[in-house]
Amino acid sequence: MRYQKTIIALLLLSILCTGWMYMGNYFAPTPVRFLVPKGWPQPVYNFKENPLTKEGIELGRQLFYDTRLSKDGTISCGTCHQQFGAFNTYDHPLSHGFNNSLTTRNAPGLFNLAWQKEFMWDGGINHLDLQPLAPITAENEMAESLVTVIKKLQAEKEYRKLFKAAFGDETINTQRLTRAISQFLLTFISSNSKYDRVKMGLDSFILPEKLGYEIFQKKCVSCHTEPFFTDYSYRNIGMPVDPFLKDLGRMKITSESNDSLKFRVPSLRNVMRTFPYGHDGRFFSVLSVMEHYRKNMVISATTDSLLRNRLPLSNFEIGQLTAFLYTLTDSSFLQNPHLAAPGKGISTTAPADIHNK
Amino acid sequence: MVSAQKKQTLTIRFNNRFGNEQLLPEQTYSLNNTDTLVVNRFKYYISNIQLTNTEGKTIIPENQYFLVDIADEKSLSIQLNIPEGKYTGIRFLLGVDSIRNVSGVQTEALDPLHGMFWTWNSGYIMAKLEGTASSSMIAGKQFTYHIGGFRKHHNTTRLIQLQSPAFTDSITIIADAAKWFNGINISKEPVCHSPGTLAVRFADNYSKMFSIAVKE
Repeated sequence: MRYQKTIIALLLLSILCTGWMYMGNYFAPTPVRFLVPKGWPQPVYNFKENPLTKEGIELGRQLFYDTRLSKDGTISCGTCHQQFGAFNTYDHPLSHGFNNSLTTRNAPGLFNLAWQKEFMWDGGINHLDLQPLAPITAENEMAESLVTVIKKLQAEKEYRKLFKAAFGDETINTQRLTRAISQFLLTFISSNSKYDRVKMGLDSFILPEKLGYEIFQKKCVSCHTEPFFTDYSYRNIGMPVDPFLKDLGRMKITSESNDSLKFRVPSLRNVMRTFPYGHDGRFFSVLSVMEHYRKNMVISATTDSLLRNRLPLSNFEIGQLTAFLYTLTDSSFLQNPHLAAPGKGISTTAPADIHNK
Repeated sequence: MVSAQKKQTLTIRFNNRFGNEQLLPEQTYSLNNTDTLVVNRFKYYISNIQLTNTEGKTIIPENQYFLVDIADEKSLSIQLNIPEGKYTGIRFLLGVDSIRNVSGVQTEALDPLHGMFWTWNSGYIMAKLEGTASSSMIAGKQFTYHIGGFRKHHNTTRLIQLQSPAFTDSITIIADAAKWFNGINISKEPVCHSPGTLAVRFADNYSKMFSIAVKE
């Protein structure tokens, strides 16, 4: 047929055109579903404003581990939030900042942030997206100005590409920077501890863990509420004020004297990995925290009503409670290769799993 | 079909002063004949602008946020797209409304990189005045007033309402930084860096700093 060639050519052309139209979609960021662990409430983070995408999460990961976000290029978010410590600063009461400075508070572990409304020990930060601005700009942390951070990122071809992949064009601004970091942080979900497996009927406690859980439910759970092991409230647990730090906690934010010495109840998930404890890291072991609760608390006007008589704990109870606390360690979270520094995750040998020695 | 109303551009100029003098960075001014001041920074947010026309009707243009900064000539005049007409009143918020203080990181004038956002206690600095004063008793004889706070008792946004002779496409608003110092003792209160009662006193002061410039 005379027209055969023309028809084939037209067909090919239309396929090419359709392909071209779909190319646009092909380059659109790939949506990622946020999975809520069984039995958990809905998250508080507004995913509508910042939907998770594969590219957004990957960009966030690059940024989280990029030391160029600090003034002298030596400190990244990941420097003080180490995965093997459930993203705390492992074994450090306070963290090291720019030019040999020290922070004034203990870097807490980072996980399950989609369910958290306020951040920092005093709750001063009211949105996850705003959180990175504090460590980036603090003189005793990364000590960099936002203007310079944005300039540095804009100068990198690789980042312009990554921002385009995540957000559709090469614009790099504070909102996109922090939204990408949030996307990465939102994937830090710790819900696979032995405790969680027991709750799902997949595993069972050994006797000390079981006894410890019973004691926990009598003496600890009203503040360290399941499933997050914190109720996100601010309480004074009788830690006397440090004479050098003079940290009054929540009162600095609210200016209310009845908030004096109140700090956020920390989650106990991964607690055996997140030592030292307390807002200034003054307790080096779980045992010293227990000693504080039963003997060393200093009762003052704002001490929590549940702790007015301190927290009586026998040696036996401390032993069983500790056994239970070990069941909150989430090895799969601590070793999740997707949360590790780029290029280091997938092929890295996993560290020893405390549950499966 | 509703007839499309003709639009016009309204230019609002901010004429920043210290008393009767033009306010310029690093210039010297005298306060109450007793104190000598140099102003280095003077910035404030303007938002939620509304207009009243000669028929008494309120016009609410799409809300925008503007950061007026004496160091940035471009920021001293703002443009609004409004229906054609004659106006006699203008209303605006000095500061950033609470919703934008609790909605994460914003863009453009509200981008935290402008140094008008507290990272340790989330919220905008609504207005900022910095400089040196002969009466200051702190290092560098400085005074630094960063006024912010959006919660109930510590709210530092202020609704400003001004009446004007009829205007169509331009209006000039005077902002007198000297008004900040009413009842303020610089030697005792050289610094304000957090929400609270002192910040509220400053907010009450700056709520009175605006007036309409009379055309010469």
